[in-house]
Amino acid sequence: MADITFITANKNYCLWPLPAWLCLKAADLEFDEITIPFSDPNARELFLQHTPTGSVPALKHGDLMLWDSMAICEYIAELAPEAGLWPDDRSKRAIARSFVADIHSFSGAHRAEVPSIDVGRVMPTNIRERTDRIKVPADIQKVFDRNTNVWRECRLKYAADGPYLFGQFSIADAMSAPFVNRFVTYSVPLGNIEADYRDTMRAHPNIKEYIAIAEAEPWSHEYSDRPFS
Amino acid sequence: MTDLTLITANKNYSRWPLPAWLCLKVAGLEFDEVTIPFSDPDARKRFDALSPTGSVPVLKHGDLTIWDSAAICEYVAELAPEAGLWPDDRSTRAVARSVVADMHSFSGAHWAAVPFVSIGAVMPTNVRQRTEKITVPADIQRIYDRNTKIWRDCRSKHAADGPYLFGRFSVADAMSAPLVNRFVTYNVPLEEIEADYCDTIRDHPLMKEYIALAEQEPWVHAPSEHPFS
Repeated sequence: MADITFITANKNYCLWPLPAWLCLKAADLEFDEITIPFSDPNARELFLQHTPTGSVPALKHGDLMLWDSMAICEYIAELAPEAGLWPDDRSKRAIARSFVADIHSFSGAHRAEVPSIDVGRVMPTNIRERTDRIKVPADIQKVFDRNTNVWRECRLKYAADGPYLFGQFSIADAMSAPFVNRFVTYSVPLGNIEADYRDTMRAHPNIKEYIAIAEAEPWSHEYSDRPFS
Repeated sequence: MTDLTLITANKNYSRWPLPAWLCLKVAGLEFDEVTIPFSDPDARKRFDALSPTGSVPVLKHGDLTIWDSAAICEYVAELAPEAGLWPDDRSTRAVARSVVADMHSFSGAHWAAVPFVSIGAVMPTNVRQRTEKITVPADIQRIYDRNTKIWRDCRSKHAADGPYLFGRFSVADAMSAPLVNRFVTYNVPLEEIEADYCDTIRDHPLMKEYIALAEQEPWVHAPSEHPFS
């Protein structure tokens, strides 16, 4: 039994288990997992029982209870500095944090500017499914462009340092991974640089492992299966 | 002229200049400010020119451009470690980051049970106005309950360490400050612990300075005035 426990919803249907899971793996920390599937009729109660605010993912480390992907990833970076989950250079790290924060709030704080967007409704997370029938609404495309613009800029700037956004794999990649999967699920057309980055990410051994786990999950979720029927 | 420049929308009508501004002030760093009021017909264009995502606030430090409040606050904390903008203890710091992440995504991106809510449309930021006419919609009240529960938990735990969420003033307080102002603007009823916390934040000399600046701003933004007419 590890003293770190990671508490999440199911991997196939939830956008957010992935970043913290990837950071834990990249940091080579042992951890137990508690999965509360959305299909559990008591899911909400269980979330509240396991976490302070009822939000998942949450991370328990001994007596310490953390929630929110961004905060969990920061904590893992502090627990395992040798994993280099943030770029070493302060300025580069600041840019990486800008991007991570942006992803973190893209459907939230900034929603005020681009109202009527709910990506999760139109294009729910569903790692194992594929469709090319969903036409990306203009509002959602703006949010996607926001992310892919940063991917492109990073890849152009840091190509010499390695294949990931800031060269070596960082929290910026971990936070981008759910969107890589969404682009694959919905066959979203990408420019060459972004498509290469998507392929690099999908080829990452930890992401492959995660996808295999998601695909093997037994639960179904009617709401998230709608676009594929 | 300093080599730090904080670029934001107006203080009265925007929720987000405040956290980064407070952190810079608490850190004792000199900085220039550029304000792009929402009423500027070129505001959108000017925001877009600043960062890859067109969001404000932006902090420029020499050639470096950092965007997003959470990332700017992290950077300021790194620039001025002696200001103690994060709790010293690793576990406490991790919880503080959870609180920051929660405030950052407060409109519920991570909370599956909260449907689309646009607090900004119902209760726009307007630091200098007051009303008690707005009944808080149930969806929004749930988010407020979540926010204030977090404040209450922190204050209950760290009361002996000082008057702020984690004792000493931290990034968690800076990120909470816009919500404090909103509760004042809309006379949102609070329990004693949270009400005391709001008073403590409002009494902070730097908060007073910011509020005075917001109140004196010359611009009027009609969409943010509708609850007060």
